[in-house]
Amino acid sequence: MAWIAERRRRSRFESVVLPHLDAAYALARWLTRNDADAADVVQEAVLRAYRYFDTYREGDAKSWLLRIVRRTCYSWLERNRPADVVPLEADAGEEEGGTTALQAAGSTEALLQSRSDLRRLDGLIEALPAPLREVIVLRELQELGYREIADVTGVPIGTVMSRLHRARSALRRAWEGRDIGDAV
Amino acid sequence: MQCDEVRPRLDAYIDGELAEDECAPLLAHLADCPECGPEAAALTRLRDGIRHAAPIYRAPEALRSHIRATLRAEAAASAGASRAAPSWLAYAASILVAVAVGSGGTLLVTGERQGDAIASELIDSHLRSLLGSHLTDVVSSDQHTVKPWFAGRSELSPPAVDLAGEGFPLVGGRLDVMAGKPVPALVYRRREHLINLFVLPASRGDLGATLSRHGYSLRHWNEGDLGFWAASDAAPSELAEFERVFRAATSG
Repeated sequence: MAWIAERRRRSRFESVVLPHLDAAYALARWLTRNDADAADVVQEAVLRAYRYFDTYREGDAKSWLLRIVRRTCYSWLERNRPADVVPLEADAGEEEGGTTALQAAGSTEALLQSRSDLRRLDGLIEALPAPLREVIVLRELQELGYREIADVTGVPIGTVMSRLHRARSALRRAWEGRDIGDAV
Repeated sequence: MQCDEVRPRLDAYIDGELAEDECAPLLAHLADCPECGPEAAALTRLRDGIRHAAPIYRAPEALRSHIRATLRAEAAASAGASRAAPSWLAYAASILVAVAVGSGGTLLVTGERQGDAIASELIDSHLRSLLGSHLTDVVSSDQHTVKPWFAGRSELSPPAVDLAGEGFPLVGGRLDVMAGKPVPALVYRRREHLINLFVLPASRGDLGATLSRHGYSLRHWNEGDLGFWAASDAAPSELAEFERVFRAATSG
């Protein structure tokens, strides 16, 4: 009976995936920066995950789901807010010599510095380019390890590390500068 | 370990990703070095600051139930697509229609055994909706919210009308699955009772009927292409009244 098999598949899917719905929503919320859009994206991603549930192998369900949510986020952003998905300037280690990476890190800092309207850290995180924002969210808020972050974002561990470093440097400069400003 | 070895490892150190044999020399350096020590402390402060300042986002309950409903509908659709076996509900319904049309009688009398199968399933759904956390997928007394919610989720578009003025306020809508098919349900309240109004394709012939089971009543009528099945623990006379005001509000 097809519908019995389908019901079994659905209940297995729900037990594998639904425990990670909060994490899925949080990632989508940070990437879309909006409640309603995050809900739309998660809804779409979970349905997609269900359709491709056959590709899930026992293992890390959270990374598997977050990978799908992340991909759904980016394609949603490309459709609806293409300005939000400007490619990140070269990652350290992917270019010969350190100059490009240094410039890239500098440009993120400049970006945050230019947002003098943002005093709080959460606002500064939201202002980070998406590829840097997601590693901060996955590391600091979802508390994933480097291996898992690489798995979710589909980049090498070395790139994860350099992005984390860039994101933190930019956040620190902007945050510490403003903290001092507030104290005076 | 020197500064130029320590700096590239600081992120990994505070992330707990540093190789075990590198931790002790790195810590020794941090304790002594007037620059690397404060640098590590600043990174830790930043991490604590982020965890403190960042809002914690959790999936809203509405999203959760919405996803469950979508999955049920999706599962139903894929099960239906395979057509491995005719669903028993369709089978029962076809017998029911044949009996009713053939005899011209009421569901209660002539279709009792076959009607039982549907009645059981609908009343089970009604009970599940009362007992579980899944009463409504969309909570609203506004027909302009409830009606579009069903669009795209079900082939049937139930006429959601609020009947608060007549004593039956609309609570919301829900998608159930019966025999592998998504079945829209509108939820109404009658004082302390809830009424689930299930919407199925119309059965042919006039099947005006009331069934009762374990203190629950089921009332059926057709309107256009749609067959309505109202399930409730309200008295059968209340369901008759509900049918009257619902038809009056939707036929106009």
